[in-house]
Formats: sequence, structure tokens, C-alpha cells
Amino acid sequence: MKRGDAPGDGPCLLTGATGFLGGHLMAELLARGRRLVIAGRPAGGESLADRIRRLLGWFGMQRREAQLEFLETDFLKPGLGLGSGEYERLRRRGLAIIHCASDTRFAEKNRAAVMAANVTGLAGILELALRSRARCFHLLSSAYAAGIDHSDCREAPVRSLRFNNPYEESKALAEKAVSATCRAHGLPFTIIRPAIVYGDARTGRSLRFNALYHPVRSLLQLRDIYLADIRENGGKRSAASGIRLEDGGGLRLPIRIFIPREGKINLVSVDYFTAAALAILERPEDGAIYHLTSRRPASMTRLAEFAERFLGLSGVEVVIGAAGAARMRNPAEELFDLFIRPYRPYIADCRDFSRENADRATGGAQPPDFDYAIFRRCMEFAVAADWGKKLF
Amino acid sequence: MRRKETPMNDVLRTAKNCRHYAMCKIDFLGSGVCRSGLEKQYVSFYPQGRMDLYAALAEKRIPVTPACVEIADSCDLCGRCDYQCYFVTEMRPTAVMRALKEHIRLHLAGGGEVLAPEKDVILDELRQIVGNDWATNDRAIALTYAHDPCPVAEPRMPGYVVMPGSTAEVAAVVRLLNRHSVPYAVRGNGSSVMGFVMSAGAVIDMGRMKAIAFDEKNWLVWVGAGVAAFDLQREALARGLRVNVAEPAALVCANIMCSGIFSTFSASYGTAADNCIDAEFVAPAGEVFRLGDPAAPNLFGFRREDAPLPGICTSAAIRLHPVTDDESSVFVPFAALDRALAFARELAMRRIGLAVAVLGGEYISTFLSPTRALAAGVKDAFRDKLKIAYLVLVIGDAHALAAVKKMGHPGFDSRLMRILNLGLPSLVSARWLELIGELSDDEPFSYLGLDHFPDLAEAALAPSPAQLVRDVDPELRPFFAALYSRPEMTDPLWLNMFRIVSARMGREKHVVAWIIYLPIDERLVAEIDGEFRRIAERHGLKNDFGFITPLDNGKRCVFEYDYYLDQNDEDEKSRMRQAMGEAGMMIEKFTAATGTVTWIRHVFRQGFSRKESFLYPGAAAGR
Repeated sequence: MKRGDAPGDGPCLLTGATGFLGGHLMAELLARGRRLVIAGRPAGGESLADRIRRLLGWFGMQRREAQLEFLETDFLKPGLGLGSGEYERLRRRGLAIIHCASDTRFAEKNRAAVMAANVTGLAGILELALRSRARCFHLLSSAYAAGIDHSDCREAPVRSLRFNNPYEESKALAEKAVSATCRAHGLPFTIIRPAIVYGDARTGRSLRFNALYHPVRSLLQLRDIYLADIRENGGKRSAASGIRLEDGGGLRLPIRIFIPREGKINLVSVDYFTAAALAILERPEDGAIYHLTSRRPASMTRLAEFAERFLGLSGVEVVIGAAGAARMRNPAEELFDLFIRPYRPYIADCRDFSRENADRATGGAQPPDFDYAIFRRCMEFAVAADWGKKLF
Repeated sequence: MRRKETPMNDVLRTAKNCRHYAMCKIDFLGSGVCRSGLEKQYVSFYPQGRMDLYAALAEKRIPVTPACVEIADSCDLCGRCDYQCYFVTEMRPTAVMRALKEHIRLHLAGGGEVLAPEKDVILDELRQIVGNDWATNDRAIALTYAHDPCPVAEPRMPGYVVMPGSTAEVAAVVRLLNRHSVPYAVRGNGSSVMGFVMSAGAVIDMGRMKAIAFDEKNWLVWVGAGVAAFDLQREALARGLRVNVAEPAALVCANIMCSGIFSTFSASYGTAADNCIDAEFVAPAGEVFRLGDPAAPNLFGFRREDAPLPGICTSAAIRLHPVTDDESSVFVPFAALDRALAFARELAMRRIGLAVAVLGGEYISTFLSPTRALAAGVKDAFRDKLKIAYLVLVIGDAHALAAVKKMGHPGFDSRLMRILNLGLPSLVSARWLELIGELSDDEPFSYLGLDHFPDLAEAALAPSPAQLVRDVDPELRPFFAALYSRPEMTDPLWLNMFRIVSARMGREKHVVAWIIYLPIDERLVAEIDGEFRRIAERHGLKNDFGFITPLDNGKRCVFEYDYYLDQNDEDEKSRMRQAMGEAGMMIEKFTAATGTVTWIRHVFRQGFSRKESFLYPGAAAGR
């Protein structure tokens, strides 16, 4: 891909800007003076422009709004749901496209919606790219699109036929569609595959509080249930479950987390993701796939220790092996197990991600090691933001 | 333009907001019933009547009469009506009772006139039949039979109110009224509140005929026309039996006459003629006949038209049902109506459960909560945090409930419901519920399948009677805390048998219930549900899905949708009248289009008919 094909040289079309990663990319592109056409939906009675304005406020970038144009679109409708004139004007502009829009739900019951958003919806964007002779097409995918047939995951087309959930599968299908379509029509493209992205490692700020945050939030809620029982209602029910206040004031909350192997949790901070993705967007290699992953992933045991320390708990124990017939020993353990069920594939993952392309594009920049200081910063921010309720 | 509400002081507002559900006439809380009501029997001597009477006096709509003085004097301000009325509507009628007494005291002290009723020949003849105490033309008594909150019924002040004590007296009264060409209406407890029981001639109040005679050998109970559903169920349960009855204050015979009895138990016990083995009537001409007599008029048949009154039901032989000691309940949650309906239909087709019903959010929250503020919070918690839009209630024996579990539907069992009920205030503010609602598990409501979930809910909600009533009026709180410590008050099985919480539907506003029979067809139900909603919203009326109970093994169902109105807001009443007209036309349109929809309006006065004749109207249309 020539230098001139990069999005930084002109305005580009960005989808998914109201999401976590798309939003951060938008902010960084704006900070670098780029002009963007934001394509997306209104939601909850709020126009796309208002949704983006809220985000700009969060980033402290309201003054950058002049660099933005808004297009309310529906990717599942012909012509992206735009009027013919509007679509034609957009087509003539030949913008580079950064496609971040995605349905990130894991549950099988959401398969149809996830496939529609991530695969069917992609077709309309790709069609626009072809018809407008876009300068390049960038797909934001996931490291976990690699599937589960192989543990050595290379920056190469997906080989697996099996996946943990419809989300992973949809991302693999999307990658296949992008590479096939773009290669067939000579449209330059890249695929960016981040691992699990958490907040800003330097400040703790984040827009989303799922993934890494969900188990910690679950533990916090369970802790608060039993603290209230002990402090306000005598704690009989807590005692029956072996839950008690310890001498130092911490809560003994015996919860076993069963995982099949020690495994890895591949975490990257959103500030790393943004910097790396921008480096790729500035110097894209046609057809390249980039793993934005950590060479030194965390482990569940380590995260459990962090969570205990942060929440003033003891008794949280990671047990290697299947729970099998082991009876859940108390209500908290049982409910916590249910809470983290959707994330099970990612808390003891055995996949390794090569990252030669990413290293080349980013000059070898690596995500920060996930230590307690980062964990605490992120969780303090999450608690202060009430897990997203008090963000704006 | 909306009319500005007439300012009312609190006492008058309470008086004018009596819902006429007659709950003060039954001892549904075990706290006793108004003593003067039990003695004098006329509605006027119960708190409901005194509410009407005070409002009429305060607004100078009637003069002070001898009965006014007696009604006011006979109230001993015991406060029982506060418990009963607060339970249902959150109102405290004792202030009205006190105001009534004070009004009369001041009137008399000021030398005010006490206007004696005029001498009346017909009244004298009525009294010769029923005795001096049981017929009157005193306006203070007549007034309390003159109206109800129905927005389409005009008040009609009866010339006479008669309370016969036997079938022979009823027959004699009917013949007398016929002879004098006096029109009449027959009244049970008037709890239908649809304007059916008013007449400018005479109102025959059946309230004195309270005989209950069990014939367990034949699995039936003979019930006098004055027996209320609650009292009959209590007597049946004391014998380890059950009857299929409806609202607790509704008189059983009147309820059957009106439209037939349906309840959540109708899923297995049926409706209309299914639960009546025999009945005794006084025909319009005054002769007595028995339903089981081959020569009697055929009341089992059904005509799709506004039917005339076939007679006055003076007693009925009601079917008794067995009760097993392993009966319990489960509430199965659903996020959408179609899934809930499909499940209810499957249960009925498989004949699982004694009582089955699809319940809406308003039902659950309003029924369980002792105050309207809590009900609002509970409704939000169920809908927004737990993502529960509908619940399918199943009552059955251990085998039935095991079958429900085996069908793969986790639910709130009776223990969990009791925990939830007594912990409702904590439920409303519980942060951990957000995580429950966010569970993206493929199996909906999987948390209910956890072995220890009730234990966690117990720790988190700290359920207790004291907690449940913490927002109740402080003066009444000790009573209600004691009340909710009684196990039956949080037992869905008992509550469904006695239905004492369903009157809370009218706590915020009076309810106009739309009831139709139709197939359990998800699309048809959704269409009609949507039409009800659109009509109500077009007229700015509060509205909500009520309930659906499968009938006849899931081939049909009874569907209730509810509209609400402020009975004292003329503008809202006007909008309700318009909405009722449109909703009626909408039902008729579906009836014509499908041939399978029957509006309960057409069953009115035909409640003894065989259910098959109105559930399957195609049969009547002929081959």
C-alpha cells in the first residue's frame, strides 16, 4: 500500500465511533487533525450527532466537532439506509474506511443479531468501499477470531472451523469477506485484531466496563450483599455460608473459581491499542493482519489476587481443574460462577498470538504489563464511574 | 381542554374515591368486619356506604334523614375499615366516618331538619313480605345503591331497597314489584362496578341470604345468594376442599349470573356451567324453578346477544374440588409475551397444573406491594433489572411442579416468592440485580436454577414483615407487620385461592377490565393486546396487560386487559368513554374477522351456559 493510501492523508469514514474502541480511534484521529465522516445509528432517542457529542465531551474534545460530519445509517438496509442523493455524494468522495462497528455479545441466543451486525452489515460497507473506489479498507476484528482449533495464532487468515461463541465466528467470517472482496477488486485492506482491551493504563479511564471489569464488579456486589447482612442484619445468613468479617475488617468470602488450566488472559490497554492502531493506519500494508496482543498475558490467579486486594477480600481461590460434580459450597460461589460464565473461554485461554506485523508497524511498542497499580487505577475509575452509570 | 379538577379536601377526596369493591364487607384480613354493617346489612351501614353518604351530604346532594342519623350513630369508629381499605387502596376511611358523625352532630345541634321518608304503599307491602327492617325508601340508604365508578353508567336513585331473606320472599317481592310495574335490579355486592346493578325502581339486595350447606358426599356445596367468594372459599378450605371462585367480595351466585366465574384455576376447573351442579331461581314472573329440573328454562344454552335476566338466582350448588397436601406454586419468568403464551398453552395441553396464568408486570408489582410507591419501584425492578415482562403462574401438586422444572423452565418457587415479597423494598434498591439482568447466558433466567439462589436472595434482601411495611402509614404499621408475618399472606397458593390482593389493581385508579375469550394464538393475542394499548394511549389513559388463563386444555383462553381512570375526573371519564367505544368496536371487528373471539359482554347474564357454547361460537353458527 502506498503512503498516500493511509487515512491520515484525507478524511475517512469511521463506523462504530460510539463504541469503546471506535470512540478512542475517533478521538485520536481528531487529535491528529483528521477530518472524519461518522456513520452510525441514533439510539435510545438520541441522534448520532448527540451520541458523538457526548463522547467528545468525555474526551474533552468538544472543540473538535467541526472536524466531523455525521451520517445516520443503517448498515442492514440497501444503500446503508441513506437517500440516493446522499449515498451518491458519499460514493463520489472515495473515502478510506475504518470499520469498527460490531455487536460484541457472546451468547448463542444472540447469534442472529451478531451475524447480522458483523457479517451481513459488513456487506453494505464493503459495497460502498467498492463503488466509491475507497482508498483503503480497515477492519477492526479480534484476536479471538482465530478460533479454537489451534493455539498458535498467527497474523494470517483464520484456519479454525470451531469457535467459542458466535462473536468469534462472526469476526472470522467478516475477515474472510473483507479479504476475499478486497483482493478480488484490488482494494487495499488491513485487519486489526486486538486482544481484550481495558481502560487507559495511565489514567484508568474507560468507556466500557465488561470483560476485565465484570468479574470484579460481580465480586464487589457479592461482597456488599454480605457486608450488609453482617452489619445490618446480624450476619446469620453469611455465617451459614462461611462468610465472615476478619479481624482486619476484610471480608472472608470463600469463592472457588474453577478453570481447566492456568491459562492466560490477554489484556491490552486502550491507550496502547489506540497508539498501535494509529501507527498501523498511518503505514498500512495491503492485506496485512495485525495482532495487538500482549506477549506477557496475565493469569486468573494473578487477577484474583488483585481483586482480593482491591476489594478487601480473602478466600477467593482459583482451582485448576473441572468443577465436575463438586458442589458449589455457598450461594456467592454459585452466583459468581454464573456471572463469569460468558467470559470462561478468555480467563484460562491457551492461545498464543504472534505479532511480527504489529511489531513492524508499531516499532516494537508493547502494551504495558498488567500490574496491580494499573488494575487499581482502572477499578477505581470504574467504581467512581459507577460501572458506566456516571460516565457522562 | 382538560377540566380543572374541583378542589376537594382530603376527607371528601377519600369519600369520593371509594372503589365500591365491597372489601369492607368481608373479613379478608382476619381483623373483623364493621359491626353495624353485619347487623344492619344495608351497604349504607358499611364503610363503603358511609363514604358515599358523607360525600353526598358534604355536597348537599341529599337531606339529612332518619337513616342518616342512624348510620352515623352506628359507627363506633373502631378503625377496622382503615386496615381493610388501606390494604386495598391505601386510603383510611375512618377519617370519613368521623367526619360523617361530626356532620350529623353539627346538623342536629344546629336544629337542622331530619327529613322523614314519605309514607309509601308499596313500601308497606314490601315490608309485609320481608319485615320492617329489610325494605326502605330512605334516601340515605337508597343513595348507596345509586351509583358505582363505571364511567358509562348514569347514577340512578332507587325508590326502594329490599333485602329478602329467603327464596319465598324473593318470589313474593318480584311478584309485588311486577304487580306495581316497578322495575328492579338485583344486586350482589355490586363489586362488578360496571353499572349493572342500578335501578330507578327497586334494588333487591341479596346480602341476607348467607346459607352455606356442604354436601361432601356429592362433592357440592349449596350457596345462598348472599355468600361472598371469600367466605365460601374459607369454609371449603376448612374442610380440605376448594371452590372455583373469583373476586373475594363478589357474591358467588351473582358472579355466576353476571358472566360465569373464571379464575386462574379455570385452567383445570373450567368456567361457567363447569362449576355449577344445580341452582334455584325466581323467574321474572315470580315462580321458582331449579336448573336441574328437565322442565326448567335452558340456561345452559348461549345466544350471542344482550340477553334478558333469566331470573334471580337465590342459591346454587357449586362443585367442590379436592386439595392435596403437596400443592404449591411457581412463577416462570419470560421476557416476551409470545414465549409466555406458548408455555402456558403447553402446560394446559399437557394438563399440567391446577391454576395457570400469564401475568403482566402491573399484576405482580401491584399485587405484592403494600403501597403504590413500592409497587412502582417493584415494577421497574422486574422490568428493567430482572428483564421480566411476564410471569407464568403455575399452581399444582408436586408432580405438576416437577414437570414444570423438567420442561426446562426455572422459576420463582413459593419459598423464593416469599423471600422476594418480604424483601421487596430491598429488591427495588438492590445493585446486584443489575448484574443478574446483564447475564447474557443462553438460558434465560438461569440464576433461578441455581441451588443456592434463594439463600443468596435471603441474604441480600433481608426479607421480613417489618421491612415490607416500612413505608406503610406509621399508625397502621404494627398491624400490617403482624399481618405479613402470617404465612398465607405471602403464599401464592393461598393468595390465588382467596384473591385478596387482586383488588389492589384499583389502588391508584379505578379499573375497567376488558375480558375476552379467544384462542391462545400468539399473533392474535399480540394484535389485540397492541390494539388495546394503542386505543388507551390515544386517549391518554393508563393501561396494561392483565392476565391470560388457558381454558379447555389450552384450546382457548380468557384474556384480561385493563384500562384505568380517575373516577372523579370528568375529563378522564369522557376520554374513557370514547376509548371504551373504540375498544368495543375493535373487539367486534376481531370477532367478525376470526369467528373465534367472544367478548364477555355477550356472556353477560348467561353465566350458567356451557363454556363450549361461547368458546366455540362456530358451533352455534351451524354446520
